[in-house]
Amino acid sequence: MTAPTSRELPQCTCPLVDSEAGSEATVVAIACGEHDACRLRAMGVYEGAQVSVIGKRHCLLVDVRGTRLALGTDLAKGITVRPQGPIAS
Amino acid sequence: MSTNAGPERQSASAPLRVAIIGNPNTGKTTLFNALTGLRQRVGNFAGVTVERVEGAFRTSDGQRIAVLDLPGSYSLSAGSPDEQIALEVLLGRDEAHWRPQVVLVVVDASHLERNLFLASQVCELGLPVVIALNQVDAAAEQGITVDVPELIHELGVPIVPTVASRGEGIEPLKQAILTAATLPAPHRRFALAPEVQGALAPLQARLEQEGFAPSAAAMESLRLLSVDRNEPHLAHIAGLAAQVAGARDALRAVGRAPEQVEAEARYAWIGGVLGRTLTRRKRDRDTFSDRLDAVALHRLGGPLLFLLVMALVFQSVFSWATPLQDAIEAAVMGIGGAVGGLLPEGDLRSLVVDGVFAGVGSVVVFLPQIAILFAFIGVLEQSGYMARAAFLMDRVMRRVGLHGKSFIPMLSGYACAVPGIMATRTIEDPKDRLATIMVVPLMSCSARLPVYTLLIGAFVPALPLIPGLDLQGATMLAMYLLGTLTALAVAAIFRKTLLRGPVRPMILELPPYRLPALRSLAVSVWQRCQLFLRRAGTVILSLSIVLWALATYPRAQVDPSLPEAAQQEQQLAHSVIGRFGRAIEPAVAPLGYDWKIGVSIVASFAAREVFVSTMGTIYGVGGEDDAALQDKLRAEVDAAGAPVYTPLIAVGLMVFYVFALMCISTVAVTVREAGGGRVSWKWAGVQFAYMLALAYGAAWLVLVVGRAMGFAG
Repeated sequence: MTAPTSRELPQCTCPLVDSEAGSEATVVAIACGEHDACRLRAMGVYEGAQVSVIGKRHCLLVDVRGTRLALGTDLAKGITVRPQGPIAS
Repeated sequence: MSTNAGPERQSASAPLRVAIIGNPNTGKTTLFNALTGLRQRVGNFAGVTVERVEGAFRTSDGQRIAVLDLPGSYSLSAGSPDEQIALEVLLGRDEAHWRPQVVLVVVDASHLERNLFLASQVCELGLPVVIALNQVDAAAEQGITVDVPELIHELGVPIVPTVASRGEGIEPLKQAILTAATLPAPHRRFALAPEVQGALAPLQARLEQEGFAPSAAAMESLRLLSVDRNEPHLAHIAGLAAQVAGARDALRAVGRAPEQVEAEARYAWIGGVLGRTLTRRKRDRDTFSDRLDAVALHRLGGPLLFLLVMALVFQSVFSWATPLQDAIEAAVMGIGGAVGGLLPEGDLRSLVVDGVFAGVGSVVVFLPQIAILFAFIGVLEQSGYMARAAFLMDRVMRRVGLHGKSFIPMLSGYACAVPGIMATRTIEDPKDRLATIMVVPLMSCSARLPVYTLLIGAFVPALPLIPGLDLQGATMLAMYLLGTLTALAVAAIFRKTLLRGPVRPMILELPPYRLPALRSLAVSVWQRCQLFLRRAGTVILSLSIVLWALATYPRAQVDPSLPEAAQQEQQLAHSVIGRFGRAIEPAVAPLGYDWKIGVSIVASFAAREVFVSTMGTIYGVGGEDDAALQDKLRAEVDAAGAPVYTPLIAVGLMVFYVFALMCISTVAVTVREAGGGRVSWKWAGVQFAYMLALAYGAAWLVLVVGRAMGFAG
């Protein structure tokens, strides 16, 4: 679906759903239906945003600039991220 | 009325019109309550902030200000009916409401990046804006400091730091609102890339032609790029979709992804602004909320805690309310008796005592339960636990095709289906939302409680089962479970038939835990109580009078030598209600009911609790006197001398009430809400019909199975 056309895709990306609990990542692309993508962007999950995966359950628990979000697994499959390693403390 | 009144309105006697908007969980409602106190008016029953609430206050120099509390929104992109309402009001496209002269944007100081997204959209609407930088205390605790003068300079609007939960910054905020009304509207503080601006120009020009102010047209054209929604406020513009598609193609042609353009531009600007105005001390990752969440969202501990919280809510609604209800009951009966004593014997006295006091009294007794339930819902919302509950329930809800968010309307449904249905406005997907609306009335609401209480008290023995639970309690619990489980099952059926479609994935903010602001909580509970009392004073009062008249006229020639009860019976049989009851008797006979039950069921369409007061009227005992009515019911025999009511009939009747949509208010709210703000009879009809069929079928089944098992009935 929509891939970032204005930027070059980085070398190593994966769906958000596959990133490890306790790791940080940068959002590269959001391809999960325009309605949900629009909502995600308004909530701070936009292309270029930094997210930390706090927990993985029936949903993903992520932290975006201090906001905790629960994201459904289906949704997290459509979010492509570039992993940045474990959360810096 | 002029839609864009300028500063000159300020000195006039008309109040200054202000709308409050903000992201969810920013303390917007608390701030609204701190500004207006009890001077509020709610249009209808409301869940927390799902309804437009209006309030008013005066500044220290006497200027009147009217405030409209808009639903919490993450953006103006109109993803949910809630956000659509907010957008229409701010654009002045909502004919049911005035357009504000000033917009107060509430932003959470600890989540500025996300909050400024909405704020930057609002700043382009062509209205003066004030920003309340709320919860600055919580931000400071997290090591976040905001350079307010610099931020004012960057955004070009007045900004007042506040802590709404403690009332800090409210007076300066009121002054800032007054001042803002005299200031010019802010404008966009960033420039789009030239190729983007070029691609948008035709769309923007078109919107300006259609009456949008230039800055609002710029905001709308940027907003429309990201998603197609067929928004009602734009529906009258012919060919708009083609124009939007054209702008998108133009953007793709220059190598830009149209759906990303708005977020990219706004967040790039916000990032720059925050880089110059915000300092963040490195904070501990393991915050207080994280430690609580370790329990509340734990795989086993989470559901356990959830069940405990729910048990506490129910326990308190049903046991703490009892003494208060008894007190109200005694007071209503006392006043009714006293007033009746002043009146001469005759129709007027009968009207006042049997009509007005019995009818309204039987409803007002629910006030404590409603207040307690709403207080709990308020505490759960404000503390941040409600979002966790929705998160936990998402697993269960998803199995039946609902969203985790559907849990909140269903929980409210235990108090009353009306606020429950209104609370569905936060659900974005129309099919999710409709399916939730369809099943909310199956949750046993507080109006069914008196029906259950009357029948259980009269026909179910208090046999002890296990410590703390007897057969009466177990029967009550069974009725609640029956309704809840059926709601889940029916939702699953709807989602597989009429409302087929994928379940929208979960996107839910889990706000930090906070102590509820008691003052604000009290204001909200008072609002709900006021609405309930208003309904009791209007709809139920008039229905009680009508019912009384129907049961009293035409007057029969009663034989004065008969005992009083028999005289009443003769009168009733002769009355309009009696004749009507006999006419519908064949319809209820298969369920084992006589015409009196039939009449009570029909009358209870006004509100289920009317069943009890109607039975009270029919059997000639005050609507409030449960014990006397229960004795009457047990003693009632038919022409052949067999008891009219057996435990089996009573259980069947309760099951009927679990399912039947005997509530005109619910039908009215479904008519309005199922159409997404437009009147729609179709879904209200479907809802009423399926629930009635379910009720009739289930009650009949109870009777048939019960008889086969050898119970009398």
